Amino acid sequence: MNRFTWQSALFLAPATITLLLFAYWPLLQDVWLSFHSWNMVSPTMKFVGLQNYLQLLSSDELIKILLNTVLYILVLVCVNFILPYLLSFIIAHRLNRFSFFYRSALFIPSTVSLAVASILFLWILNPLAGPLNIILSAIGLESPRWFKESGLVIIIIGLIIGWKVFGYNLILLAAAMVDVPKELIEAARLENVSNWQLFRRIIVPMTSSTALYVFVITVVFGLQYVLVPVNMLTQGGPDQGSTNLVYIVYQYGFVFFQTGKASAFAILTMLIYALFLIVKTKVLDKKVHYEN
Amino acid sequence: MKINSYRDWYWHILLLFAVVIQLWPLLFMLSTSFKTMDQIFLSTLNPLPAKPVIDNYLYVLKNLPLIQYIVNTLLIASSITLAKIITSILAGFAFVYYDFSHKEKLFNTLLLTFFIPITVVMMPNYLFISKLGLLNTPWGVILPQLADGMGIFLMRQSMRNIPKPLLEAGRLENASPWVILTRIILPLIKPSVIAMGIVFFINSWNDYFWPLLILHDKPTYTLPLALQMFISAEGGSEWGIAMAVAMLTALPPLLLYLTCQRFIMNTFMQSGVKG
Repeated sequence: MNRFTWQSALFLAPATITLLLFAYWPLLQDVWLSFHSWNMVSPTMKFVGLQNYLQLLSSDELIKILLNTVLYILVLVCVNFILPYLLSFIIAHRLNRFSFFYRSALFIPSTVSLAVASILFLWILNPLAGPLNIILSAIGLESPRWFKESGLVIIIIGLIIGWKVFGYNLILLAAAMVDVPKELIEAARLENVSNWQLFRRIIVPMTSSTALYVFVITVVFGLQYVLVPVNMLTQGGPDQGSTNLVYIVYQYGFVFFQTGKASAFAILTMLIYALFLIVKTKVLDKKVHYEN
Repeated sequence: MKINSYRDWYWHILLLFAVVIQLWPLLFMLSTSFKTMDQIFLSTLNPLPAKPVIDNYLYVLKNLPLIQYIVNTLLIASSITLAKIITSILAGFAFVYYDFSHKEKLFNTLLLTFFIPITVVMMPNYLFISKLGLLNTPWGVILPQLADGMGIFLMRQSMRNIPKPLLEAGRLENASPWVILTRIILPLIKPSVIAMGIVFFINSWNDYFWPLLILHDKPTYTLPLALQMFISAEGGSEWGIAMAVAMLTALPPLLLYLTCQRFIMNTFMQSGVKG
């Protein structure tokens, strides 16, 4: 091994400087901004201490924001974690043929921009002339106004994101499935173990570290993806029915120009993320040791 | 291992159902973009328009600075891709080739940026970019994205898989680190560099949110931003035109994936993106 020299510093510098400057430094600035009251343009900034945080924690909005966020995450965990987990098992171990076809076909939507997905589903879900409405009315159902009903709107947005991300997570999980020794599965089959038992007793323990990773990115990135459809389709509406922990930062920062409150929400998000990652690391250290 | 074929037909039905859900919206986008306004509203569900027309595409070409949007998107996406590839290779190399104190700590610090959400960094970064006078320029979009935590992770991972004797050989001949990196390492990890580059390119091409904050003037828009113009308060009615722009935005990443898919899949399967 070569010792650290000015040479190695040169190799590290471009990435390190960029990431410190545009990822960690803003984090500190957020803390600073969250203790001040400011509107982004005024030359003076007023120090207000913890006031932004107190307002945030005592506001009526907070419950709605957290509920929307939880509901949205639940949809994502179902569509982008549980479903691809089960399907990747079927594709990798229950089929004789076509598994490459399924993997490639199901992956295709994940190459599509969320902006494209948003406008596409705006048309598909159009309550007057959209195709889904036509299908629904053909079987005698009335199409709800998908983006106008509180409670429904955040689920629909979750499903749009789910449609896009599903294939990507499926591929990651399928890669882990392939690593499970065929002999194990063959042995289980000879003993007439049911598919569900096979999945629970063999597949889950042997793929748990990838599964945990996919679970984490489902939540961590899923929360960020929500910005695009919410901004394009609802702007947080109706009546803040589709706003959430991530979009609210944008709303306060760039719509209401209250940087203090925006930063306070950003710091809150970061704390939740950090907590989540710490729990993930702990689980990884303790429980997940079968793989590799 | 053979699974009895007669028993797996119901899995195929289930999976085909999933394929239809995943692909039908895209086929629908394709067919709508070739329909006239009448066909869009009268035969909405018909996947094959009786007389496909390219009017929507012609309209877009004539009435939007479409070429400008494509150039903007291409410039931003390729610059970010190239920069991320270079910085990731250099940093990944340093982590494999050199030994220094707090190496793991520095690596984890850089990797963790992968998990810092955009909402946390967007306001300070926006203020910084505007201070630099880079609002409304592609450079304002590119500058904060010159490096990538996950890229460093992937490059370190592939360089670790290179047999040690190969690196030792270079060292014994007194080759400089630069020569070892470019002559020995890069040729060996070329497949993972290309696969990583494709993923970077697709992601930056598709990016919507950061460009939205930086680019306000219409001539500076990227394709995903241009889509926003077709959403009116009423939900709009020019669906044919909107779908044509959506098609043009979706096509390059889609073609890139379809031409390189075996390659991307294999790299995915082998490198094992594991947390």
